[in-house]
Amino acid sequence: MSRLIDHKELEEDEVEIRSAAALLPLNWTAALDDYALDLRWSPDGTRLAAFPSTGTPQLFNLTKDGGERSPQRSGACAANETAHETFGNPSMLTDRPEVGPCHRDLPSHRGGNGSLAWHPDGSSIATFGQDGILRLHDIATGNSRELQLPRGWAERCAWNADGSLIATAAGKAVHVIDAATLETTHVIDDHRSTVTDLVWHPVLLDQLATASDGGARMWRLGETKPFARIDDGGAAVLTTWSPDGRWLVTSDQTPSVHLYDLKKRAPLFIQGFETKIKAFAWQTGGTPDLPWLALGGGPVITVWPCFGKNGPRGAKPHQLYGHLKEVTALDFPKNGPYLASGARDGFVLLWLPHNSNGPALIAQEKSEITVVRWSPDGLQLAYGTASGRIAFHTLNNKA
Amino acid sequence: MTNTTKLPVTVLTGFLGSGKTTLLNRILTENHGLRIAVIENEFGEVSIDHELVINAEEEIFEMNNGCICCTVRGDLIRIIGSLMKRRDQFDHILIETTGLADPGPVIQTFFVDDEMKDKLTLNAIVSLVDARHISLHLDSSEEAVKQIAFADSILLNKTDLATPADLEALEARIKAINGVAKLQRCQNANVPIAGLLDIGGFNLDRAIGLDPRFLDPEYPFEWGGILEVPAGMLTLEASENPDPSMTAVIIPVGAADDESLAFAREIAVRAFSHKAIEAPYGSDLTADGIPYDMILTDGPMQWTCNVDASGPLAIFTQHYPEELGLRFLSETNELQPAIAASYKPDHTHDEAVTSVGIEADGDCDEKKLNAWLSKLLRDRGNDIYRMKGVFAIKGNPNRFIFQGVHMLLDPADGEPWGDRPRRTSLVFIGRDLDRDELNQSFRKCLA
Repeated sequence: MSRLIDHKELEEDEVEIRSAAALLPLNWTAALDDYALDLRWSPDGTRLAAFPSTGTPQLFNLTKDGGERSPQRSGACAANETAHETFGNPSMLTDRPEVGPCHRDLPSHRGGNGSLAWHPDGSSIATFGQDGILRLHDIATGNSRELQLPRGWAERCAWNADGSLIATAAGKAVHVIDAATLETTHVIDDHRSTVTDLVWHPVLLDQLATASDGGARMWRLGETKPFARIDDGGAAVLTTWSPDGRWLVTSDQTPSVHLYDLKKRAPLFIQGFETKIKAFAWQTGGTPDLPWLALGGGPVITVWPCFGKNGPRGAKPHQLYGHLKEVTALDFPKNGPYLASGARDGFVLLWLPHNSNGPALIAQEKSEITVVRWSPDGLQLAYGTASGRIAFHTLNNKA
Repeated sequence: MTNTTKLPVTVLTGFLGSGKTTLLNRILTENHGLRIAVIENEFGEVSIDHELVINAEEEIFEMNNGCICCTVRGDLIRIIGSLMKRRDQFDHILIETTGLADPGPVIQTFFVDDEMKDKLTLNAIVSLVDARHISLHLDSSEEAVKQIAFADSILLNKTDLATPADLEALEARIKAINGVAKLQRCQNANVPIAGLLDIGGFNLDRAIGLDPRFLDPEYPFEWGGILEVPAGMLTLEASENPDPSMTAVIIPVGAADDESLAFAREIAVRAFSHKAIEAPYGSDLTADGIPYDMILTDGPMQWTCNVDASGPLAIFTQHYPEELGLRFLSETNELQPAIAASYKPDHTHDEAVTSVGIEADGDCDEKKLNAWLSKLLRDRGNDIYRMKGVFAIKGNPNRFIFQGVHMLLDPADGEPWGDRPRRTSLVFIGRDLDRDELNQSFRKCLA
């Protein structure tokens, strides 16, 4: 068991926060119908899917002729797209375009939206909702296919590493579906309560993990029992698999996280956070030793080494002070050093976690930040808020 | 939890067949002007296919804080958390539990989880009871007893399937378990929805209405009935004397129906607590709620009561009329009760779960009170299902109000006492509570 050490109350005046406006200027903003549940970049970074809790999911096309990464202007949109009008706080806009990127509306889910996921090759995007419907939207044609699954509280849909299978978690069951035929190939229902999250192994095509009552279970398709489990007795909420496949991490309804080291087949428990863990992010680039795991849990972000013999066991994490309220969103770019964070205080902050400098302010919103996402190349950052506002910043390498 | 801007949550409990599905369907279809999300249990009687119905699987877990009572429902935290992210916000959330469920973890969820506490307010626990079959459940199921014990409001449903006498006996039994819940009779779960969702059982402001004097689990009389009495002389005639005397009270009522009998019953409870007037046979009785101690001897005995105008009179007797050979005679004929009920304590149903009320004039010493409550909840928290109280604390000009579940307390400052007499009223509902011990130990807290 690890426990946070040197944990101190954050005083507002203890941390000097610089502005990141020159480094990451605001490019455009948009309004969703409702609370921004998720933002997801396509694997090639040309599109951004925005998913509200209810209402219409939107798919923003960020390409211009030749694929240049700047908002496409009105009149240049494809037939099934419309130009998006920007909105927001004009005082914050340094280079405000008159019209934002083209976007396409995706059908909403009756009873509320649940989860969305890009196919690994970016050819389609899946949405899943409280109506129990899984929809696969083909990006090139604009056509959709859908599958009605048994109703249950819908929490997650996720593709396996090569995109041949997609899994949904609703109620106590995980349905694994062949993406080509939309036929259910496996049903994993040996859970005592709702599956709150699922994640595929980053490489292996037939392994996935589910978070449910009592912790996490790791499954091989075709087997009736999990091959490993974190049984901590808590009510698991989120789960994530480290990009190297070594660690499975689960948060629950208490201020703690549970890790499972698949290399040693040993569990690890970290507690002492101020609140429940609402956000994870893996750092997979920008430093020699990798990966690192950033965790929310109160206003302080902790960043843990997940490499070497013992990983976080006995290690002292980096503790990042800057937010005033609970951290709700974290993201590292795929190969970069910058950590972006969002919190209930409405701040979006930028960090270099292994550098002793304090954070830089990317934005300050009136409502809670619910999601932050770097584009795959780490040059653009999008975030969303509880009021449904989304914003898009572009890294200025000259700054 | 008194912030009215928080989203109210009502918990609906009830055994299989109690009418929960009927009630839920009414809630979802009636034009009551409220947008209500229903979180239905996966083992619900009938799965209701409705956009506002969310299916949940009970997911009970223990908080890692060492408190044995801190078992909460993780599924509720997650689902309600998601509902709170929606712009089309609801006016109310209704959580259905199964008949087999312990209501404790559901209620504790709203005490323990910070986000739930911030955004939601627990309105009430409503327990739906099948009037015909609940006695069987109470005899055999701990959960059935708990559902009564935890309730703020009890809907005695399917009353058309039970006799008035059975209903009276059942109400007495329910009151013995939970003396503070609002009890309402209904058929087909037909109760006003808006009223159902505005109980405020967990509203500390309303806790000041508490009156523990009505928590006596046993009625002091065995029988009560309503007679339609013509104007003139009413005669009570007895032929047996199983005891030296028997107390009786006569109360004018508006009608010969269940409601009037229940109304008169409460008056009779108060009347029986006063010293009765000795009434040898041959003496006159009055129909004004005064208790009389009818002295019993050998042979026929008669008492008379002058009735000015024709109308219904409720009579409550310490023993069953047949034990005395008691008859009611007008000037022309013998009168039969239009409605009657038995209140004899049923000792085969000696409840382990009871309500204990404590009342004391004057102030409490805060330190002593804290120590007493801490020890009590530490030692007995598992057995104390619900508690509510209004305290007069020495030096505090305001009422100090609390309510709680097991070891969890939600205290708050209430209205100023002003000119009203300072007094403490509190109620415990729980298992194996020692009324005398609780009263005596509390009185050591008085300033």
